[in-house]
Amino acid sequence: MSRPGPQRRVGLSSLIVATVGLLVSAYLTYEHFTAATTFACPESATINCQKVTTSRWSHLGPIPVAVLGLLYFAGMTLLCLPVAWRARLLVPVRVAAASVGVLVALVLVWIELFRVDAICLYCTAVHVCALTLFGTVLWTTAELRAAAVPAARLAR
Amino acid sequence: MTGKRKNPTTAGSGAARAGSDGPAGAKPAKPSAAAQRLAAQRALAAANRERQARQRRLLTVLTPIVAVVLIVAVLVVVKLATGPSTPKSGTRAAPAANAVQAAVTGMPASVLDQVGTGTVASVPSALPGPPLTADGKPRILFVGAEWCPYCAAERWPLAVALSRFGTLTGLGEVTSSPTDVYPNTATLSFHGAGYTSTLLSLTAKEIYSNQVQGTSYAPLDTLDAADNQLFSTVGKNGFPFLDIGGRYLVNTASYDPSVLAGKSQAQIAAALSDPSSPIAKAVGGAANVLTAAICRLTSRQPAGVCTSAGVTAAAAVLPAAGT
Repeated sequence: MSRPGPQRRVGLSSLIVATVGLLVSAYLTYEHFTAATTFACPESATINCQKVTTSRWSHLGPIPVAVLGLLYFAGMTLLCLPVAWRARLLVPVRVAAASVGVLVALVLVWIELFRVDAICLYCTAVHVCALTLFGTVLWTTAELRAAAVPAARLAR
Repeated sequence: MTGKRKNPTTAGSGAARAGSDGPAGAKPAKPSAAAQRLAAQRALAAANRERQARQRRLLTVLTPIVAVVLIVAVLVVVKLATGPSTPKSGTRAAPAANAVQAAVTGMPASVLDQVGTGTVASVPSALPGPPLTADGKPRILFVGAEWCPYCAAERWPLAVALSRFGTLTGLGEVTSSPTDVYPNTATLSFHGAGYTSTLLSLTAKEIYSNQVQGTSYAPLDTLDAADNQLFSTVGKNGFPFLDIGGRYLVNTASYDPSVLAGKSQAQIAAALSDPSSPIAKAVGGAANVLTAAICRLTSRQPAGVCTSAGVTAAAAVLPAAGT
């Protein structure tokens, strides 16, 4: 099935967003494991990346949340590759994964605001990536379905 | 000679039937105006259907996106309306127990030599600018806050290091904020402490307590204008701020404060005599590094301290003093 022009561009957008999220997550993971060199109390407590990333909410069991984010965006980057967009079986997987990413981002925002009482700017960048990725995945999936309907009619 | 006449009927009718049964290669007749109108209507209807389908797809995508953005907006508005979480007070400061004071001010030299640099994560940075002195001696300026968890970690090695050059008295015991990172870290307090030394001058201030006042912590000690200037320009108003003779700067905890988690002052003090203890390695290692920095200001006096194995190892990781 040939891919129409607009859907190819949107598919590329999801890959770009997933890659950006992967890079920011990688940086957050790096900071998590090297934070020992930057232990200091800032004068302003509202925007305090270290407070967020070293809080008791920064781990899910033994696993740092930063690492989970890195794994998530690594998986989404693979799912948004052009070859992956051609696989019909991956459509529900991709949409479900993007939805989970947004839900988790919402939970983490709530934790920052109401539990840690501080905002991490890099974490916010990751959350924005998750939301943008959700949007591009939904749009590309909808466009794919629309392009497949006339082809199905012709096949009959 | 006779000629055959064409049957005018067949000749005419042949031409009239060219559209249906005409010979191959004949041009099709132009569609009628009605057929053209019908085709245009169908094309318009198809375009409308495609536009409506596209709008439905857009709505399907935008609806959850807008929902998420609205949820975040609601969370932010609720947070702004309720204000920041009120900090909680830590354990009120009290004079340090004799055993704690003795253990900190008398950490065994053998333990310090065994731990070397221990588990130090950050060393002092070189500080350019004029030297910091008082009464003809290098001056140590420490600015902390009793609520601050990183100050909580740094006071232990600072007290150990200072005790190698003079006599510390009147230390207090306090815990860091219960609502910040590394909550309730047991530590010392320099508020009201005294220091006598022939080699160094010490100014140690705790400018905030760990007792909540309104939405912040109650002020405690005050800095004079010159020290306040140093705290803001060199220290960027961050805690801890440790200016070692104007030559070295410490503005972070030298080791991971989590090593003190769940320990009391007595337990931390007792661990200082065990070189295998993670606390001794952290506190002792940091104390050796601070000592090495101070030794560079005191012309390596006292010699027994500045040439010890632990301080010698720490000096190797210290950058050259600022000039």
